[in-house]
Amino acid sequence: MKMPYMGKILVVDLTRGVMEEETIPDRVYEQYLSGMGLGAYILYHRVPPGADPLGPDNILGFCSGLLTGTGSLFSGRWMLVGKSPLTGGWGDANCGGTFSPAIKRCGYDALFFKGTSRDPVYLYVKNGRANLKDAGDLWGMDAVETEELLKERHGAKAAVAVIGTAGERLSLISGVCNDRGRIAARSGLGAVMGSKRLKAVVLDGVKRIGVHDRAEMKNLSKHCIKWVNLPLPLPPAGIFARAGALMRVTPVLLAQDGLLYRSILKKWGTAGMNQVSIEMGDAPIKNWDGSNVDFPLEKSRKISPAIIREREIMKYHCYSCPLGCGGISAATGKYARIHKPEYESILALGALCMNEDLDSVYYLNELLNRAGMDTISAGGTAAFAIECYEKGILTGGDTDGLELKWGNTEALVALIKKMIRREGIGDLLADGVKIAAEKIGKGSMEYAIQAGGQELPMHDGRNDPGFNVHYSLEPAPGKHTTGAHLYYEMFQLWKKLKDLPNPGLFITKDGKFEIDEDKARAAAACSTFMSLANAAGMCLFGLFLGATRIPTFEWLNAAMGRQWSPEEYMVIGERIHTLKQAFNVKHGIESRDNFASGRALGVIPQQEGANKGRSVDIEKHAPLYWKQFGWDTETGKPKPETLRKLGIE
Amino acid sequence: MSYKIMEACNGCGACVRLCPADAVSGERKKLHVIAEDLCIECGACGRICPRAAVLNGGGMVCVAVKRSEWPKPELVIEECTACGICVDACPVGCLQFLGMPVESGGHVYPCLKDSRACIGCGFCSIECPSDALVMKRPVKSAGS
Repeated sequence: MKMPYMGKILVVDLTRGVMEEETIPDRVYEQYLSGMGLGAYILYHRVPPGADPLGPDNILGFCSGLLTGTGSLFSGRWMLVGKSPLTGGWGDANCGGTFSPAIKRCGYDALFFKGTSRDPVYLYVKNGRANLKDAGDLWGMDAVETEELLKERHGAKAAVAVIGTAGERLSLISGVCNDRGRIAARSGLGAVMGSKRLKAVVLDGVKRIGVHDRAEMKNLSKHCIKWVNLPLPLPPAGIFARAGALMRVTPVLLAQDGLLYRSILKKWGTAGMNQVSIEMGDAPIKNWDGSNVDFPLEKSRKISPAIIREREIMKYHCYSCPLGCGGISAATGKYARIHKPEYESILALGALCMNEDLDSVYYLNELLNRAGMDTISAGGTAAFAIECYEKGILTGGDTDGLELKWGNTEALVALIKKMIRREGIGDLLADGVKIAAEKIGKGSMEYAIQAGGQELPMHDGRNDPGFNVHYSLEPAPGKHTTGAHLYYEMFQLWKKLKDLPNPGLFITKDGKFEIDEDKARAAAACSTFMSLANAAGMCLFGLFLGATRIPTFEWLNAAMGRQWSPEEYMVIGERIHTLKQAFNVKHGIESRDNFASGRALGVIPQQEGANKGRSVDIEKHAPLYWKQFGWDTETGKPKPETLRKLGIE
Repeated sequence: MSYKIMEACNGCGACVRLCPADAVSGERKKLHVIAEDLCIECGACGRICPRAAVLNGGGMVCVAVKRSEWPKPELVIEECTACGICVDACPVGCLQFLGMPVESGGHVYPCLKDSRACIGCGFCSIECPSDALVMKRPVKSAGS
């Protein structure tokens, strides 16, 4: 039977310069699928407790999704996994572009790197032959330059994943780039690659990817395309922004249907949310201390989706994406054609720092992508530094003379350049807010907004408490791509899994903040489903279409020749999720240490703005959430009987 | 199942030059072999072989076809979602994102950039989730 997985991984020992192919038994794919599942399986068993994330014992994995290359859609995400140097526990980040199918075209489901090389190297795989090559000439080059040079050397068809200078300099907020600056940014895994002196992975293969029932895959894909293309016109950006203001004041909201978000993504990309998010209270402002009052429409108009669209030259689709939320933009200055900045980057480098200058956002976004530094963490760290300066914790003497005031674009640009170069104050900040605050002291930790050491993304959990739940309770804390109240509404999983709660058509704002069993079940369903989806290589934005429109479970069945129920697939998600938590336990992570910062939780509620008076009691959420997975309700550690039930040794 | 080369092979090397998977090897003017683990069953070796010395995965002898008559993908743009699956599936890289019709809303569509490099394998068409690529034998235009 033709299977959608390749059945093999490549393990590269960089210390010894040795590469070994390993056959993975079918039962592992049946229990964990591929992608994040396979990554968690390998890392849980092979990274020893106490391993230094930047030492030879850590393993860095590049994993393709089980559904990648099967004729399914939205299934081109590759997963970067490793022990995170930023959080000390389970780390993952994923990215689109063209790298995920390239892993499988080389005959592997994943590539794992252990050990450390003495000299800079890159891996080159071409038609079944893998070689480590000298990367001395590439060390010091930015991610885009390196990719261009490697494609010149090995052909335009090669896919390249690469670290920029931030990863080389072991910045704990660095990631791994592909396709000219798209980036698997989170969890600081770029530093792991840098510590291994692995500059790049170059893949050029033509292997066929198996599918059990290709005709059925196509039928399912055509069904999905119908929903992707269903016309649903949007109002002009200005009117749309005002809808956010309406959502701010109304006590009852309609449950969100992902078809609307699909239209936003199609027209504007993630930047479509720029203004509406600020208006409704979703976007954090001024290092999470401000609100829509500090960044009103007059200011946010400068980052309006309409302006972002005007600068777009063409749409950009990741592999297997029929939607195309990305874009290639025209920019001023040194870099003329760049990836359109995403919502996260625009807000982190914009309103979070009170920066209204869109040109600087485009420039910094490209600079950070090329350096391979996470825009979310970099913006969050800059905002932290600005607040410290404004409060007198940092002075001109500490900042090399930079006047780090809210909205000082020039100083912000200079600061981020210093962070990339690890120069002066930049060296202090290049490892994120928590480490910086530990070094600075003077009460600065209060302004370091993070969960488990990772800077929080641009969705305020005081607006949607689900974000705070997932920021605080996921094995990889501080990430926004797993769950939220909003995500649960859009996933519409209750249409496939009859036991899950249906939130109904109308949702009261106050109701979202009530802590009960149904909320915990919804949050657990998001975590479980996304663990499954990340094993399959699925894109979150595709999944927002809703479970009956994007046939994830059905694609998996058609690809593997199974007739498993959605419930059976969710057990796989549960197993992966629990294994990541078990990884954290093995590596000494205390679950409560990952809770988000007090300010983000609203421990002292805000006095004005969209989220006035809101707070989230994560201590109450945690035991309910842990209970759903059979984890200890005091400690969050998976119980022995849970591990046994899931077949985790 | 991998393709196989039979005794009739005269070692001309036409298939070696064409194979996108580097699966064929052999000394010039001697019997060549196909590495089973590398063969992707694109059929290019069988279509080019002047000696009918290649068996396909099903054990049938492949018949040589004039290269100008090998089928090529044609895009039905109304069906295409610009998802790029075909571009990735093409083992020789002859499909690329090049075309952006005015009415596309900025979406860039795949084009057969290098028609002469196409080996007619049809993988692009097989993998396309929306059946937007149809393999067709090129039609000679009048006077050519």
